[in-house]
Amino acid sequence: MSYDKPLPKLNSDNRPFWEGCRQHELRFQRCSDCGHVRWPPSDLCPQCHSTEINWLISKGIGKVYTFAVYHTAFHPGFAADLPYTVAVVALDEGPHFMSNIVGCRPDEVKCDMPVKVVWEDVDERITLPKFRALS
Amino acid sequence: MLESGLCSYVLISYGHSALSSDSMQRMLLDLSGDDAVFGHFGATGGYALAARRAMHEFGTGPETWKKIAVGQRRWANLNPAAMMHSKPMTEADYDNAKLIVEPLRLPDNCLITDGGRAIIVTSLERARDLKQPPAVIMGMGQHNPSTVIAQSDWMAGPTGARQAGEAAFAMADITLDDVDACQIYDCFTYTVEITLQDYGFFKPGGGRDWLQGGTIEPGGRMPVNTSGGQLSEAYFMGMTPIAEGAMQIMGRCGERQLGPATRTKSPEIILCSDNGGILQSHSCTLLRRL
Repeated sequence: MSYDKPLPKLNSDNRPFWEGCRQHELRFQRCSDCGHVRWPPSDLCPQCHSTEINWLISKGIGKVYTFAVYHTAFHPGFAADLPYTVAVVALDEGPHFMSNIVGCRPDEVKCDMPVKVVWEDVDERITLPKFRALS
Repeated sequence: MLESGLCSYVLISYGHSALSSDSMQRMLLDLSGDDAVFGHFGATGGYALAARRAMHEFGTGPETWKKIAVGQRRWANLNPAAMMHSKPMTEADYDNAKLIVEPLRLPDNCLITDGGRAIIVTSLERARDLKQPPAVIMGMGQHNPSTVIAQSDWMAGPTGARQAGEAAFAMADITLDDVDACQIYDCFTYTVEITLQDYGFFKPGGGRDWLQGGTIEPGGRMPVNTSGGQLSEAYFMGMTPIAEGAMQIMGRCGERQLGPATRTKSPEIILCSDNGGILQSHSCTLLRRL
């Protein structure tokens, strides 16, 4: 069955991130001047406005900062997944990344629960980073 | 501009065929961007994330929010113009309502409305001999933290209401004790809780106790959203609260009028709030009787 959910829109800012995902690497921009690690990708550091960056590869480990359990499908591609969990994951390197918690029931998810990245290969171009409980 | 004479009257209006078109839904879905990849859409999802973090940090939850939803519905049943007039809601109705994006249920969400609101602002000097008694702006404050809230570590507050409220109260030179009623921007029940909390009406998590005994309802000691608000009257963005605040001060609210008719204080001062994004911008306006 073909993949019927929305896919990320690649642009010059976020292409290195999604190309990293293809190789199962979570890559984030790190400001070369102040060291702030940011998401989403952008030209300017939101902390110091520097344009200088290097790319950091995250270990993919963090905690659930917060989460929401969808009982309504706002897009038909998600109807079969209900109820499903959207979470903001606070990665150990700093950025908050929005994704899904997989591998457990929604009522097993808690704030501050340790999680690690798992990879969902969608097609030859896109791989999605998702998260599961770190146990 | 009014004080300097650059203009004499300012009309602030809002109108939207939000219910009979899909423009509101399209706007909210467009805002989702790549969050849609993970099934995260619109405003309900964003506020559900904030509300969940608040449950974790200061122990709020549906027991608090249902008092807001049910209390505002009681006001709507005194307002013939409210979309939810003649549709009473009990706490059991709330408990049994459909989950939309957990922890938020259907009655935690505001309405979508066809219609509009307008207010006219003029100088106090001009307002003194108008046909209607005016509502006087005695203080205003804005604070816009703006950051994409999912990147913040203050998703459970304080929101912009903290500093916006401090600025408005300083300008008006009054305290919370002087406020007779509130018209709070209520896109979701949780927004009412966090806004009142950040203004200082109760400590983090104290809303549940503060709301007991019908505090915000007809007959209560601090009426909130006396038209039914965006949850139970109509959604006109920040125009729903500010227009109701002005109309209550002017004494034009009929069956729901604050004062003896609703066993509440006759309002000398009403606090009105507005909020934007996912708790990313905030304004506070204090209105008083002339």
